Amino acid sequence: MRVEVEDLVLRYGDVTALDGMSFSLEGGKIYGLLGRNGSGKTSLMSVLAAFRKQTAGRVSVGGRPVFENGEAVRDIALIRDTGEAVTIGTAEDALYFAEWLRPSWDSEYAESLMELFKLPRKKNVKEMSKGQRSAMGVVVGLASRAPLTMFDESYLGMDAPSRQAFYDALLADYIAHPRTIILSTHLIEEVSGLFEEVVIIHEGKVLVHEESEALLSRGVSVTGQAAHVDTFTAGLRVLGERQLGPTKSAMVYGELDAARRRKAVEAGLELGPINMQDLFIHLTGGSS
Amino acid sequence: MRGFPTRLLAANALITAMLWAGFVAVVAIVAVGIGLFGTLGRSVWEPASQFVRFYALFFGIALVREWMPLYLAHGRTRRLFGLHGGITIALFAPFLAVLAALAYLVERGAYALADVPQNLDRRHLFTDPLQVHLVLAEYSLQYLAWIAAGALVGAAFYRWEGGGLLVIPLGVVIVALGEAATGDALPLIGERLGLALPQIPAVAALGAALLGAALTWMIVRDVPVRNRA
Repeated sequence: MRVEVEDLVLRYGDVTALDGMSFSLEGGKIYGLLGRNGSGKTSLMSVLAAFRKQTAGRVSVGGRPVFENGEAVRDIALIRDTGEAVTIGTAEDALYFAEWLRPSWDSEYAESLMELFKLPRKKNVKEMSKGQRSAMGVVVGLASRAPLTMFDESYLGMDAPSRQAFYDALLADYIAHPRTIILSTHLIEEVSGLFEEVVIIHEGKVLVHEESEALLSRGVSVTGQAAHVDTFTAGLRVLGERQLGPTKSAMVYGELDAARRRKAVEAGLELGPINMQDLFIHLTGGSS
Repeated sequence: MRGFPTRLLAANALITAMLWAGFVAVVAIVAVGIGLFGTLGRSVWEPASQFVRFYALFFGIALVREWMPLYLAHGRTRRLFGLHGGITIALFAPFLAVLAALAYLVERGAYALADVPQNLDRRHLFTDPLQVHLVLAEYSLQYLAWIAAGALVGAAFYRWEGGGLLVIPLGVVIVALGEAATGDALPLIGERLGLALPQIPAVAALGAALLGAALTWMIVRDVPVRNRA
């Protein structure tokens, strides 16, 4: 499900949330949508799902404009923690209406997810704990089997084991039923392993759109004895450091040439992939 | 799910029927109380039925606040919601009217057994609750106006939050037109304040409901789904 965004502008009164954004996603992948608070992630996904009409620019999904286009929007699911897809009576009611409204709904899969997350069927969704409500969103989002499925931080309320269960279920279902999935998250390290491509937005514009591997190759982690790491990284752009006893790990921005890599090996240092979160913090202006 | 809001109607009809049964039981207890401790000579359902109008009002509000976001979240358009919402209002109002007419008939049966007259106090399109077709017509028109007013006010608050207050007078006008066309005072408040409504043709209630529906559509046709729960 190809997604194309061209010169997209979204304003709320005087505030410009999306400022002439352009990019395209070829589809059939899991995309990570990253950005700081207020960067425009929710606004972008709201426009992609026709929750909101853009101020200017063009948005198409599967080659069709989305706003008030029944053919296009039936293929799109956006799950947010506001819960509009699930807060209608009990959990059972939510599934009953999802099945009715979603042409691609898979009831059996929904039931298995309800079991997986141990969700009470008779409980009013509004009275559920935050974690349970988040899990309801996950159930509805996955079982919708929409060709374009987006989760806007909607699973952050779940505890760590439940989030891991979600990642596992998402990956398994994505392999069984390939589709385009966009995950917006602040838990970058936890989820980054799922991303095939990453879109980083900042102040309403696309800052980076790359394959995950290419993005991670922008930097290197250097680990070893603290003194050796300090010597090796002198003069390099260090994004972050961590130290445990005599061992230190530094995140270095920029590719290392063969000579430097050799030098690292000679110094007994270990080179590895950079941490996506450190890279994200650096690309979006550093820690604040 | 295609062109007809089956589950939307079925779910609301079911819960409404259950609430109605409970409400009729409460009204029956009140009637028995009046009979035991006072003089029962008039319909208790007639004043009690005024509360159903407020149920209709809140149904209209919920239609926009709860159901519209659900439709949009599940990949449906505002246009489809507008169509389903319109059909739902058009069928749900007569459904409520059927329940109101049934309540009058249940009351008539009980009063007949106790040999108590079922007198009416207010102006109606009917003079006797046994004129079922007129009871249905009156309450259908009234509830149409009340649901439409609820949908209008609900849409305004959903879109503009506190700005929705400005639309309340419009909602009152729609309700007042519906009441003037079928009754003689705004329920609960009107009678206490002695505010009698002029008598206008019954069809005005239909016009008021259509006005409410049209204004609601103007508000929701491009409304954003709210970012807050």
